[in-house]
Amino acid sequence: MSYLEVKDLKIHFPIKGGLFSRTVGHIKAVDGVSFSLDKGKTYGLVGESGSGKTTTGRSIIGLNNITSGQVLFDGVDITNIKRAKSDVRKDIQMIFQDPYSSLNPKKRVIDIVSEPLRNFENLTRKEERKRVQELMELVGLSPESILKYPHEFSGGQRQRIGIARAIALKPKLIIADEPVSALDVSVQAQVLNFMKDIQKELDLTYLFISHDLGVIKHMCDQIGIMYKGRYVEEGTADDIFFNPQHIYTKRLVAAIPDIDPNKREEKRKFREEVKAEYEKSYNDYFDEEGLAYKLQPVSDTHLVALPEKG
Amino acid sequence: MIKLGKKTEAGALQAQTPIKSPSGFSIIWRELVRDKVALISLIFLILIVSFVYGISLILDQDEIVKVDLLSIYQPPNDQFILGTDYGGRDIFGQLIIGTRNSLSIAILVTLMTGIIGIAYGLISGYFGGHIDNMMMRVLDFFNILPFTMIVIAFVAIVPKYSVTTFSLIMTGFLWMGIARLIRSKALQEKELDYIQASKTLGSSNFKIIFTQLLPNCSSLIIVTMTLNLAANIGLESGLSFLGFGFPESTPSLGTLLSYATNPQTLEFRWWIWVPASILILLLMLSINNVGQALKRATDARQRRG
Repeated sequence: MSYLEVKDLKIHFPIKGGLFSRTVGHIKAVDGVSFSLDKGKTYGLVGESGSGKTTTGRSIIGLNNITSGQVLFDGVDITNIKRAKSDVRKDIQMIFQDPYSSLNPKKRVIDIVSEPLRNFENLTRKEERKRVQELMELVGLSPESILKYPHEFSGGQRQRIGIARAIALKPKLIIADEPVSALDVSVQAQVLNFMKDIQKELDLTYLFISHDLGVIKHMCDQIGIMYKGRYVEEGTADDIFFNPQHIYTKRLVAAIPDIDPNKREEKRKFREEVKAEYEKSYNDYFDEEGLAYKLQPVSDTHLVALPEKG
Repeated sequence: MIKLGKKTEAGALQAQTPIKSPSGFSIIWRELVRDKVALISLIFLILIVSFVYGISLILDQDEIVKVDLLSIYQPPNDQFILGTDYGGRDIFGQLIIGTRNSLSIAILVTLMTGIIGIAYGLISGYFGGHIDNMMMRVLDFFNILPFTMIVIAFVAIVPKYSVTTFSLIMTGFLWMGIARLIRSKALQEKELDYIQASKTLGSSNFKIIFTQLLPNCSSLIIVTMTLNLAANIGLESGLSFLGFGFPESTPSLGTLLSYATNPQTLEFRWWIWVPASILILLLMLSINNVGQALKRATDARQRRG
């Protein structure tokens, strides 16, 4: 039994227009996505901008309304859960993409980090302070800085305050929505390694959303590739990086830069080959609307969106 | 972006001096000190307000508004510093009590419209969608009501006409502006991640509105309420001037001003209406100056201090 299970998730946003702002159509942000996630593992959700990966993550935690489909967490249906104080809120937390807007600029760090504690646990001021200091130490920030305001920290430090807030309640699943995209490369590694460390320490499960394949490769056990709200390929990290089947995945993987300058020309040629193949076989891999087909298994762990005739 | 700029500037200052980061009040204070006109205005305001409220404690309103036929239309002299009106009443006393009444109304109306408008705007903006739509249509309804006419009708109906009732009537028709302003700010803020984060952390909507959204609207609230205060002083005076303010037994700046409708008074008895006019002008100007300085203090790009 998998820990988090998403079944045929659909999130459609209405397009309002015409007289009396009727609904004239739908944007299918997420259109039939299913995946499952095991405890203690990291699942990577990859895709280009607008492919619906963030929407998927946000709908699991209840920030977007789910049109149809089901989300099961530890066997419990948590689809469209709205109550503020439920156990699910405690068990699933989120790390936000933008470390600047995700911290309230008018609040001190102690107030920001202790917000979940105040909501779920009855602690005295002293205990609360101690917990926040412990958390700050855990994320590698000085415990003395709890009285500072968010603007007094750098981007990486702010992101770690965000992480401290997310792990304050000892959650079981963390949805990390591009946690390092807003950070520069030197800080990215720092935050990612730190996330890996606390994963071991607290036995966390991550749903890791990113567009950066390098980061995904570093972090994830399983990967799902999304395109226009649908899955094009799903499999273990090895499946995706060493045996990509779908033309879209091939192109994505080919786009990962190589640090060896001698291979630059070779890489460029390879990319062009893939590009030519992509353009030639586009119609084989996508339907008339340019959407991906249903997933077909090619091995035990590897699923690829191919037309049904094979 | 504005917020961000302000914060980074404050952050840079923090790096040089290891003291606490400048709080909102110290930023406002720096701005006031740098803007001499605003500083003088603030000092003037504090003096006027303490003087007026202090003196009016000693003065007896009934004594001042008592008609004294022996001292009608006296120009300023030793007994009456600012002369007397057609009822032989002391203009200086009326001016003090009148300023107190006008200021009390302005402050009361500003506070009450502020509280109603902020709550209304925050709720409307935060929830959005149908709730916002409905609340805004109600607000539109209040907006299209002919304000002056209804106030005049109310004045005729209300049996006991006092500072409190007058303020309540005014509040009923003046909360819409600030509600709109706060709503637009709330609409903008609620999309930011820290509000979304609060939701995922299990805070209730009510808690998010008043502990997360409200503090982030505070600069807008302070500025708007200050500028509203200046406008509200003029409001009472205007209505009283038209004759729908207070009766002569309750002096206000407006009633003093309305004596000037008499051409004789206007031309030959300046001491009756000139002090009140100057006071209104100065009060509104200084509050406006302070308000403008506050406005600049909230925007790093306009700040001088």
